Amino acid sequence: MKMENMSLSGLDNTKLEALAQDIYSDLVEDACLGLCFEVHRAVKQGYFFLDDTDQESMKDFEIVDQPGVDIFGQVYNQWKNKECVCPNCNRSIAASRFAPHLEKCLGMGRNSSRIANRRIASSNNTNNKSESDQEDNDDVNDNDWSYGSEKKVLIRQMDNVLFSLPGELSSSVNTDPYKYNYNTGINYETLGPDELRSLLTTQCGVISEHTKKMCTRSQRCPQHTDQQRRAVRVFLLGLSATSLPDSNTAVESDGYDASDGQVLMSRLQWDGSSDISPSDSASSKASTNNSDSKKPKKKKKTSLNSTGGGGGGSGSVGGSSSQGCLAGQANRKKPKLPVPPAPSIYDNLN
Amino acid sequence: MNKDSQMRAAINQKLIEMGERERLKELLRAKLVECGWKDQMKAQCKDVIREKGLEHVTVEDLVVEITPKGRALVPDSVKKELLQRIRAFLAQHSTL
Repeated sequence: MKMENMSLSGLDNTKLEALAQDIYSDLVEDACLGLCFEVHRAVKQGYFFLDDTDQESMKDFEIVDQPGVDIFGQVYNQWKNKECVCPNCNRSIAASRFAPHLEKCLGMGRNSSRIANRRIASSNNTNNKSESDQEDNDDVNDNDWSYGSEKKVLIRQMDNVLFSLPGELSSSVNTDPYKYNYNTGINYETLGPDELRSLLTTQCGVISEHTKKMCTRSQRCPQHTDQQRRAVRVFLLGLSATSLPDSNTAVESDGYDASDGQVLMSRLQWDGSSDISPSDSASSKASTNNSDSKKPKKKKKTSLNSTGGGGGGSGSVGGSSSQGCLAGQANRKKPKLPVPPAPSIYDNLN
Repeated sequence: MNKDSQMRAAINQKLIEMGERERLKELLRAKLVECGWKDQMKAQCKDVIREKGLEHVTVEDLVVEITPKGRALVPDSVKKELLQRIRAFLAQHSTL
């Protein structure tokens, strides 16, 4: 049948609308039919009711729609302020601090092994009095730690805790080693002379003006000079003792006995007597007569200047050496010993 | 009237030939799933099945029960959008 050429423009709007409606309802019916076929097949194949559960479970897991609670019925920030009990040390810790505490408590994190190694090293240092020079390169720029002082402060803290709280031994003793102590100095007033001496042999020890504490860095610490260190030692240990190792002089400490002094003096006398000759009389005069001065003095072979307690002695050495060479020279004839250069200054005078 | 029915047939034919009908059908299905119409209808089906018995339900039973309810439950927004698209098509292809 031949189709005539038709134009829709001949149709009025109502018919157009009716046409659209018809097309629409055809489409909806198609959709419904499709659904029916789908359901029927599911029923016949047996999988239609599979996603259902029994009524009780449906009620248990129903969606919750209350304010302040999520759809499962859980409260949002329930665990923020909870306290957890550490399984290792049995303390109750705040939830947000639990992870770092556990890292230190179990000794398994990155930081905890560093702390442990440092403790071992510091305990070896203070026990064996070994040199801490090996660690100088690390320590010099390290403001946080120092070896001996940190352990001593910790020990003192632990002692205080032990005395004051006898009932809570385990917890308090355990916490202290794991607390960082950023105290960089020691209060020298609380230390006895022996402790002071041992401290001063290993550490810088210069007392800071602001904090009145001793510097706990090594003997070569760049913040303080050797003169400062010497001054501190004089101040703390008395005039007669300076235990600072000095490369220039061979300085002796308090252990310098009178008997040793006598031997020294007699040696010096022999020096003077061996050089007896008209040309050398002045030098011999200068060299001998150390026996006249019985004061304990430093044995300085290179220079006359001596700090602190040696000041008085050097004057007497110079003076007495020029005076009394005659007293010793007649009685003694000894092999020649090297002449100390100290009397050479008085050669010029004579 | 003959003209009308002829015209209708022609338009339907065009709809199919151009693939527009398929597109409209898919659009309608998607929209019905989105708005929850399909789940509603499935619940209705469950009632019918429980009523008729699981073993003996037929397609005819379902169609007879479901189709009128389905037509009524289509949301207005979906209906309007579809009608709009059909009118647009008709306006575009008014000359055969």
